[in-house]
Amino acid sequence: MSRIIDRSMDIGEFVPQPDDDMLICRCEEITKGEIRRAVHDGMWTITEIRRYLRTGMGLCQGQTCSRLVKGIVARELHISPAELEPATSRSPMRPTEMKVMGNEEA
Amino acid sequence: MERYEVIIVGAGPSGLSAAIEAAKRGLKVIVFDENDKPGGQLFKQIHKFFGSKEHHAKIRGFRIGEQLLEEAAEAGVEVQLGATVIGLYSDKEVNVRIGDSIRHYKGDTVIVATGAAENMVTFPGWTLPGVIGAGAAQTMMNIHGIRPGKKVLMLGSGNVGLVVSFQLLQAGCEVVALVDAAPRIGGYGVHAAKVARCGVPFYLSHTITKAHGEDHVTGVTISEVDSHFTPIEGTEKTFEVDTICMAVGLSPMSQLLKMAGCEMEDNPKRGGQVPIIDDFGETSVSGIFAAGDVSGIEEASSAMIEGRMAGVCVSEYLGYLSEEEKEAELKKLEGDLDSLRQGMFAPKNRGKLIEKTDEGIDVSMNLLQKGYVSDDEIERFPGVVHRKGVHPVIECTQNIPCNPCQDACPKKCISTGDNITFLPFIKDDCECSNCGMCVASCSGQAIFLVDEDCGDGTATITLPYEFLPLPQVGDTGYGLSRSGEKLCEAEVVLVRSLKAFDHTNLLTMRVPKEYAMKARFFTKD
Repeated sequence: MSRIIDRSMDIGEFVPQPDDDMLICRCEEITKGEIRRAVHDGMWTITEIRRYLRTGMGLCQGQTCSRLVKGIVARELHISPAELEPATSRSPMRPTEMKVMGNEEA
Repeated sequence: MERYEVIIVGAGPSGLSAAIEAAKRGLKVIVFDENDKPGGQLFKQIHKFFGSKEHHAKIRGFRIGEQLLEEAAEAGVEVQLGATVIGLYSDKEVNVRIGDSIRHYKGDTVIVATGAAENMVTFPGWTLPGVIGAGAAQTMMNIHGIRPGKKVLMLGSGNVGLVVSFQLLQAGCEVVALVDAAPRIGGYGVHAAKVARCGVPFYLSHTITKAHGEDHVTGVTISEVDSHFTPIEGTEKTFEVDTICMAVGLSPMSQLLKMAGCEMEDNPKRGGQVPIIDDFGETSVSGIFAAGDVSGIEEASSAMIEGRMAGVCVSEYLGYLSEEEKEAELKKLEGDLDSLRQGMFAPKNRGKLIEKTDEGIDVSMNLLQKGYVSDDEIERFPGVVHRKGVHPVIECTQNIPCNPCQDACPKKCISTGDNITFLPFIKDDCECSNCGMCVASCSGQAIFLVDEDCGDGTATITLPYEFLPLPQVGDTGYGLSRSGEKLCEAEVVLVRSLKAFDHTNLLTMRVPKEYAMKARFFTKD
């Protein structure tokens, strides 16, 4: 189960890695390095990462990258991915055009 | 707002099964599915399923899908296709996108059967066109009739990786290697063996370190990994490929349940974020159920049973069944589910190294590491016998819940004993009529009919053959070993394609008799 993250934890310095330029979130074109840097900038939850970088907020809505992002953030925080609360699920679950959202049949 | 007694999200094996159970008891049911066709993944499954008669064993997946659709139509299930559920709330309000509008529905109960999505692993070049999921490869081949590529490397040796590798071969692709970071093959040995005897090499404890190419995949480099899964320098091997296929597991698509406020957990044994459910699929929100892969990754046969359980539960929840009737139905279904979850690959054994079969026989380590049982290991298994004349040789060496072979033999020569997971053996008073039913019935393509000594220095081997073009009688070529190596010259002496074999052709080849227990496949060139 997820736990509240201790913000005073020392996660060490950001150490560049050779594959930091590798794309992780394809829809929003966010790299592994950007995600790792975001953790060192203080974004320690998936919700914060999403708001900071927009990972998982593109066309596929995190279908591919949410698990990958979780793994990278967890490794950076030296915790298990299972301890990270996943992103909030909210409607619309699939990308939906505004004109469709506005065309409700009651 | 339209009201239904049961709203089901997902028209795959579990969703349809749930719908059938509810609709046949008179409940007003609707199933939403975002796809254009119902059936979920079943229609991509062209291989024969494992299990017992009750679990549709030896029936090809897409046929099970067809049967399920017929049953649903008979029960009066309403299936709304092209309908994407975009919202689910705790009061069981369901928002659905249909065409260009959003419609609101209210369910007295809701069953979420949304299935799972494929996982990916990353390496430099993983976003290049040509890197695809195994599910995508199946969709291209088996739904649209498109070959995904010419030369393919498969990452992942679970059943999905093994089954899709075989299907790629059937589609005419060259599978250059099957790679897995784990030290042992994850899927059924029989699935691995049929890929291995086509000559596909297995690289266990290896991972992809780079995909090459500028605007599409032109090659791939793999490296051996140490016990921490870190690539070892100097172990790189490069293959020229145009496609990299990934079969590295599935994640439940459970977001709707989380949105509805169901209690969730991160459970690696179930594949990721899953709802906390009781034994029959009810979540922490009364009246919302989960069935199939969304509540834990398994396979289609168990998904169908879980769906039926949820369908029975909602029927009782809404007063269409008494509690006693529900208990009786669930007990039966629980028994079925339990029998599927037996054997070496049972959920409780996931990740464990099992060294001995239930019979106390040493498991073939070669099978776990290279994909085939070696010549010196094969003799210790009960289905491998030597008799005069034609007789079955059953190269089934792991305890899996499957037994169509024992029903297939009209002479009752084959038995799996008291337990569905026991290894099949050939009875002593066996009078094989060479009918071939056992060969065609084995979903693992692990049964051969062998005449070890025809009296003229040759032997004949009848093997299951599911490739096109089908060789003709008189064709000459080579007998291949279990690892796909050319062993000897071989001549096709008989090709049988009966309706009862359900597209598993039986090819009989003549080889020098010293290869009777070694040659297990045929190639013309």
